[in-house]
Amino acid sequence: MNRKRLVVTVVLLMAAACFAFAAGSSETTTKKAEGVYSGVTLNFWSMWNSNEPQGQVVAAAAKAFEEKTGAKINIEWKGRDINKIIATALEAGENIDVFEEDYRRIGNVYKNYVYDLTDMAKAANYDAQSYACFNEEITKWAGFLAAITEQPQVGGIFYNKEIFKNAGITIPTTWDEFLAVNQKLVDKGYEPMALDSAYADFFFGYHLDRRIGQAVTTELVKNGGWSKNAGAVAAAQDIIDYRKAGYLAAGAPDEFPSSQNKIGLTGKVAMIVCANYVCSEVNNTTGANIDWGMFNYPTIAAPAGSGSTNAYAGANSLAITKYSKNPQAAFDFLMLLTSGEYDQKMANAASQIPADPRNVAPAIMNGTIETLQATSSPLSWSMGLNANPDIKANVKTNIIALFEGKFATGADFAKAMDALYK
Amino acid sequence: MRNDKKLIIGFLTPCILTLFIMYLYPVARTLVMSFFRIESVTAATSTWSFYGLGNYAKIFHSPSFKSAMWNMVRIWLVGGILTLSLALIFAMILTSGIRFKKFFRAAIYMPNIISAVALATMWIQYVFNQDYGMLNQMIRFFGGTGVKWLGTDLKFWAMLFSFIFGAVGYYMLIFISGIEKIPADIYEAATIDGASKVQQAMKITMPLLKGVTKTNITFWSIHTTTFFLWSMMFSPVDTEAATIVPVVYLYNTVFGSKGNSQRDAGAGAAVGVVLALIIVAIYFVMNRLFKDDDVEY
Repeated sequence: MNRKRLVVTVVLLMAAACFAFAAGSSETTTKKAEGVYSGVTLNFWSMWNSNEPQGQVVAAAAKAFEEKTGAKINIEWKGRDINKIIATALEAGENIDVFEEDYRRIGNVYKNYVYDLTDMAKAANYDAQSYACFNEEITKWAGFLAAITEQPQVGGIFYNKEIFKNAGITIPTTWDEFLAVNQKLVDKGYEPMALDSAYADFFFGYHLDRRIGQAVTTELVKNGGWSKNAGAVAAAQDIIDYRKAGYLAAGAPDEFPSSQNKIGLTGKVAMIVCANYVCSEVNNTTGANIDWGMFNYPTIAAPAGSGSTNAYAGANSLAITKYSKNPQAAFDFLMLLTSGEYDQKMANAASQIPADPRNVAPAIMNGTIETLQATSSPLSWSMGLNANPDIKANVKTNIIALFEGKFATGADFAKAMDALYK
Repeated sequence: MRNDKKLIIGFLTPCILTLFIMYLYPVARTLVMSFFRIESVTAATSTWSFYGLGNYAKIFHSPSFKSAMWNMVRIWLVGGILTLSLALIFAMILTSGIRFKKFFRAAIYMPNIISAVALATMWIQYVFNQDYGMLNQMIRFFGGTGVKWLGTDLKFWAMLFSFIFGAVGYYMLIFISGIEKIPADIYEAATIDGASKVQQAMKITMPLLKGVTKTNITFWSIHTTTFFLWSMMFSPVDTEAATIVPVVYLYNTVFGSKGNSQRDAGAGAAVGVVLALIIVAIYFVMNRLFKDDDVEY
């Protein structure tokens, strides 16, 4: 009887100990600093990891803010998977003040849970230190300024400057000029365009935007009617002709990242249609020191095309939760992180575009600030081709097959796309 | 003896509670969610709107879901036949008394303890690479031209083949344990009666492995329906129809994907229910086909 009581007591104690440790250890913060925000604690859910260059800059900025204002910033390094857990956390009213996410999701999915930053931004003259295109887009989606841009991205054609110089190429602006550039490169013994199948829809989406515009593409993807749209058929035919002329690099479309790596490995491949992170990606992976430049995807004038000169632009941004107890303190920290000294540090450490246009883009990102400032209607990733979740995967496979030369004519491609809507 | 009851209840309660909270409650909730129109998985029940079988209609009309189901059927059937046959053959060879049995067993099982991400990276970046990959180098050595293993027409089979390579070891071990349970004197008696090794395999080993085969087929079905990592690795950045499987479709539907912020937790729940029903159906069919109580030893 006594032994049984002892066993039960031990088991209950063990269970209690488990729960005590499971509840987590609480931090005892006894840092007492004098400052504007002393006593304020901000909880920051970051999409970076602590050892990434971006993460290190965020940590340094947080420390500087703490010293300047006496606030305490708790950073939780959630990594990229934050996009899977943040929605649930916001709905549950979890104790978060600031989080980082793709600005498209902030403006569309989380808009009911984030703070309206319009007034604070006006008071801080935020317009002078940010890109108008992102602020306008997110205001369009959410109805108010919902996020502060941290990591801008821009898309276009990134090229090896040395190859262009050796071949005597001038930057093309129209599709016909672009085709002539490709031919000149082939004549000089270079391979014009790298392509990985993972970015096939990005490339084709850009081209569709030049033929019919992103809005029409989105309509076609949602409801079908590809064969009836002459512009869409022409766009597919353009790709078939492009491939037949031999302008794709050997082996393209290849499996990511084989084709883009060839830019660095062989030194013979000249261009790639991608977003700006491809530059440092290729340089770091292949060890090559490519001198990168970029130009906007060439345009096709009406009536054959849409005349669009828009570029893809996206951003990872910072948002403040609606229920945050210290929105002004959080906003001041965001201003510190995304402008001036710390934004320049971020751009240099991670070889990315500065969030503050007054800063200087690292050499590898030449031309990106100007392109972003000239963009009024940024294109979304894949320019509408992802708008229909029911057929998304099949659309992508059809596009990869288009680049592989599996369709004889643009009309065949349009027919294959229409077959998805039966 | 009576006091033991209190002890039994005391020890069982945490386990039963955990089973209910962590397993049965989410399953029941998913089943209920599949009949409602819900945007976010954790949305409050007040925001749910009744949708009847609408979610099921939506997913069965979706070409991407249909591609996913077709891929899953091919993985289950073709992959299953190849994997289980190879596993059985290896198991029979390793229990027939060859030398270095322990080494071969470890070598064949090794892919199971390596992370699937590392395995998939090796297959994609090295074995299947068009220019310097292992397979194309071998082909060129014999004078052929390299094959585009990861192009749209071959990508599914490349993925399946890499998956089978890593999966065989697991089923082989289960078969080995089943074969080793069969008493050796049956084989001795058969050898004395003049039966060849092949005849012994067909007439003794196979019938007595019915129970183990049933187990393996059930495990294989579960692994097939939860096929996820390999599909994501072979289609980086975004999903392709060549590699999509139901769980990837579920993942994209519930959480949204690149450039698409639409989320539909109701449809995701419907996918989950469909997959669970498939497993249950397979289990009952297997139970009918493999009556393992007609042989005993």
